[in-house]
Amino acid sequence: MSTDNERSDAVIAGLAEIKPAVVPMLPSSTLRRILDWVMAQPDIRSFPVTREEEAVGIMGGLALTETPAVLIMQDNGVGNFLTALTTFPQAYHLPCFMLIARRGGINEYNSMIHLISERVPAILDAANIRTFHLDAMTPLDQWTRTVVKGYEFARITHRPVAVLVNLMGG
Amino acid sequence: MATLSRAEALKIITEIFPQEPTVVTLGATVRELIATVGKRENDFYVLDSMGLPVAIGLGIALGRPENPEKVVVIEGDGGLLMGLSALPTVGFLKPRNLVILVLDNGTYASTGGQPTAATTTDFAAVAAGCGIRGVTVDDDAGFHAALADAKAMDGPTLVRMMIDQRSIKTPYLLEDPILLSAAFRKLVGRT
Repeated sequence: MSTDNERSDAVIAGLAEIKPAVVPMLPSSTLRRILDWVMAQPDIRSFPVTREEEAVGIMGGLALTETPAVLIMQDNGVGNFLTALTTFPQAYHLPCFMLIARRGGINEYNSMIHLISERVPAILDAANIRTFHLDAMTPLDQWTRTVVKGYEFARITHRPVAVLVNLMGG
Repeated sequence: MATLSRAEALKIITEIFPQEPTVVTLGATVRELIATVGKRENDFYVLDSMGLPVAIGLGIALGRPENPEKVVVIEGDGGLLMGLSALPTVGFLKPRNLVILVLDNGTYASTGGQPTAATTTDFAAVAAGCGIRGVTVDDDAGFHAALADAKAMDGPTLVRMMIDQRSIKTPYLLEDPILLSAAFRKLVGRT
């Protein structure tokens, strides 16, 4: 089984291949290794956003200008952006690629986050948001490829696509 | 004391920003804009994402960093309050090409005129607190001067335009958002 850092590094390799020009990001301890890498890249304009729905608006504006972008966030913020995601990029056929870290499973240390996080795949499915899933059972050599392919899939199908990554080993 | 209607304010905006990419908040504002000046190819109509226009405009501005042309956002007071968290991000990033115009009539006009919290919120001061140049204007001369300044100066700028509660009766806009998106992308897209 892969380690947390190996999984994060596989995601980083995917981001390096995507070469996003802009990365809006929400805070996340689980994503720290990835966020640190993003912030260290001189060719990526990364910045903090205050809320997930705001990030979706920014991503949609970037998509209108055809700027390659990746949104990085945690799954407990999914509840915040559902209306924005469905009424804007989904309704307007704009690609919106989201790298979303899973919480609330094995090795979780927060006593309540599972109440939202466990249901996120079902919530996104109910909202007709396409997702791909990576977890500890996924061979490490599939991680980078899935991140890159997920990004391409969002562009090709002109809609929001999320890759849900469980970096905690669950 | 506000003396201009929303339609009159929109007409002034289109006179000063005739061809700049413009993100227009939903509902009655979009419909009154169309009724007042017709459909412009540089207008992007946000049909149902209340609170999102500032963030959308910010994304467009970030996607055109080398383009000196201003990206204009027309928002209402209720919409800005719903998406107020975007202002710190605008102030943090300081896009020089972003202009935010807030048409403030103190009500949710599209939903029947319920009051907003704008009457006790100083949007210009909030903007300034976020690192955005903020001004408040309430008459024809003030509108013209503030918008001309916003066009000429490096942004980001927020102009709070105090308007009265008059509105004009307009038909619903039932266009397919996919078509709106495709048309606007031709204007601001890279390809």
